[in-house]
Amino acid sequence: MFEKIVKMKKLIILFSFLSILMACGSDNDPEVSRDNFNRKVMLENWADNIIIPAYENMNTHVETMKVASNTFIETPNEGNLSSLRQAWLDSYMAWQSVDMFEIGRAEQITLRNFINVYPLDLEGMQQSLLAGNYDLSLINRQDEQGFSALDFLLYGLATSDAEIVAFYTDTVNGAKYKTYMSDVIDRMQILTGDVLSDWKSGYRETFISRDGSSGTESVNSLINDYVFYYEKYLRAGKIGIPAGVFSGGTLNDRVEARFRGDVSKVLFLNALDATQDFFNGIYFNGEGEGVSLNDYLNDLNSIKETEDLSTLINSQFDVIRNMAGNLSDNLGEQVGTNNMLMLETYDELQKSVVLMKVDMLQALNVKVDYVDADGD
Amino acid sequence: MYFSITFVSLFEISLNKDTNLRRMKNTLSILAVFLILTTLSSCGDDDTVTPPIAIDEPTSYAFARESSSTVSFSGQSTRIAMAEEMISALKNSTLTAAPLAAMFDHQEGESNFSTSDLNASSKNVKSKVAASTDFFASNTAGASAVKADFDKWIAAQANDVFPKWDADASKGVSGAIQEAGGGSTRYVNANGLEYDQAVAKSLIGGLMTDQILNNYLGTAVLDAGSNRSDQEAGTLVDGKSYAAMEHKWDEAYGYVYGASQDVANPNATIGADDSFLNKYIGRVEGDTDFAGIADDIFNAFKLGRAALVAGDYTIRDAQAAIIRQKISEVIAIRAVYYLQQGKLALEASTPDMAAAFHDLSEGFGFVYSLQFTRDPLTNEPFFSRSEVEGFLDTIYSTASGANGFWDVTSENLQSVSETIAADFGFTVDQAGS
Repeated sequence: MFEKIVKMKKLIILFSFLSILMACGSDNDPEVSRDNFNRKVMLENWADNIIIPAYENMNTHVETMKVASNTFIETPNEGNLSSLRQAWLDSYMAWQSVDMFEIGRAEQITLRNFINVYPLDLEGMQQSLLAGNYDLSLINRQDEQGFSALDFLLYGLATSDAEIVAFYTDTVNGAKYKTYMSDVIDRMQILTGDVLSDWKSGYRETFISRDGSSGTESVNSLINDYVFYYEKYLRAGKIGIPAGVFSGGTLNDRVEARFRGDVSKVLFLNALDATQDFFNGIYFNGEGEGVSLNDYLNDLNSIKETEDLSTLINSQFDVIRNMAGNLSDNLGEQVGTNNMLMLETYDELQKSVVLMKVDMLQALNVKVDYVDADGD
Repeated sequence: MYFSITFVSLFEISLNKDTNLRRMKNTLSILAVFLILTTLSSCGDDDTVTPPIAIDEPTSYAFARESSSTVSFSGQSTRIAMAEEMISALKNSTLTAAPLAAMFDHQEGESNFSTSDLNASSKNVKSKVAASTDFFASNTAGASAVKADFDKWIAAQANDVFPKWDADASKGVSGAIQEAGGGSTRYVNANGLEYDQAVAKSLIGGLMTDQILNNYLGTAVLDAGSNRSDQEAGTLVDGKSYAAMEHKWDEAYGYVYGASQDVANPNATIGADDSFLNKYIGRVEGDTDFAGIADDIFNAFKLGRAALVAGDYTIRDAQAAIIRQKISEVIAIRAVYYLQQGKLALEASTPDMAAAFHDLSEGFGFVYSLQFTRDPLTNEPFFSRSEVEGFLDTIYSTASGANGFWDVTSENLQSVSETIAADFGFTVDQAGS
């Protein structure tokens, strides 16, 4: 028996040693660079040819929207409403090309949460608008501003354009609608300008200089932001949630631009294109192609079941685009008429989550830095 | 024969704490004493060979006597259902304090709930909060203090928060506060605490954990009166299909699995069956650092029940020790998890205060629940009520004008997280993600 105790003690001591050794091993684990891929060149391409031009484009369109809103506010009529609507749609399309880059200043100020939360809290916004005592910088007010607030102000107030204009010419409340519209657009302009100027006044250099392979450096951070965006905002937000994938039934009021109606598909497709272009390093202006994730995967010779992973990912983007071709321009309508098409599109989107979040991140040795929220 | 099985069980407990040398030493010395004792007893018995007791362990939690099931825990399922309705009602701002208090302290026949079964029941939640034999039978003052906490939170929800349901919360002011990105709206008191979360998560300790670990799995309850001889003789409780001891064990089981879709094989849906202990065993199981814990708990319930039927009380009690350790760990892991999630939210450049308050309110309840845990090596809670109060004063201080979660610092949250994790022998990182 005594022998047994000694053995036990030895065993426990052995285990302790092993665990100490193991702990030491992982603590001191150096950042092993498994590849010689030139991340800096990729980061330069991302910053100079894709991200900054995309923000410049967004910023230009928001400025145009501001000018159009000034004109409309000064002279509310159907012609000026129409111009403002076009500027809104142009800006909304431009947003789809920057939404995935929530890094740096955009991450600090949580740009996405102030620019494009939908569904709109219609009741809350109407209360704020009429009471006039709102503070749009509060997190409480994130679902009362941005593109979806303008969607309502430009399309949702009434069924005819004349009736909508009448809200702004109303002698009692017209000024309140004008002020709210102006405040919402001002805020979008300030925040977008803030992010763009941060990129151009130092963050670009910081971003590019952080070209290591650890979790906190630029490549890993942006890839995480990209995959997170794809999973949560492109796949779930634009298609999955309205199609009822995460709820008991379909939710036709959860689509983007629900009051305008017929642009939700084009906004989705624009986002899909931007997402694929980023993967392939295509310049924002479309006039060139630089180093990006496809090259990184090819450089590592990443193969899944005898196929190049980069080819598989690109093919899947094409499959999604084809599948979405069957959808109505108005996704809110689509979930009511034939939701099966939405679900089929979602299923194809989901296949890319596996290709990117699992296969690509493994190939690139990038650890997922976000967890699905606890949900309660 | 059975010594070795017991020994392995204890050893397993110690292995899970391999980073905690202090506990390792405790385990070691207990093992040593245990082995010496068994050595002594086996020396005496050298001449007579004790036949090993055969334990007939089923594959699922199904036990029968002459083909009639002996498993019953309807009272536990009832209390879980009552608690579910109560925590829902805590978010119904049209109610006043009186109906909420009546749900907590339901009286037979009163229409406090949505179903006639619950209304007709003689059971209620409050009478079983801080009501275990081992911890509270001779500590009625302590029990009364715990019940008073629940009464206070429930009343304050109706009196302080419901009237402010549509007003914005701010530091020192109760009301509504919304999570970022158009997220959920949380309803908090003046110090950022959601009372409904405090109640729900504290019930996991005060009702479920206390009843399981400190009441039904204790020898004071299992072996009360003639339970052992009745169990061995197959003497049933009057009018029932079970003997008293096996029923007590099942009642412990019912507080974990009483709302399960398949009560005999509950782990198929673990985490999805209630809002209390079952749910959070599922959550901890989902953390790869602790995967396997759901099976550990279920298997211990099953083997312990089979051992009890076979009359092997040593193995029965060894399984009770495993359950005490593992369920205590679930509480501690979730306490640290929520404090860390809250810390993360508060440290963001644009802090999502509503999300932080929600996490911290859940953390508040899990920390509160620690006083009902049970260390199988000492038979004491891992943290006493006064230690728990110290933690709560650190993370939710209302002393000298402080406003609870509005004023909590990262350092406060980290220090409490580390103290809890260290005592259990897991790391803050393991629990926090």
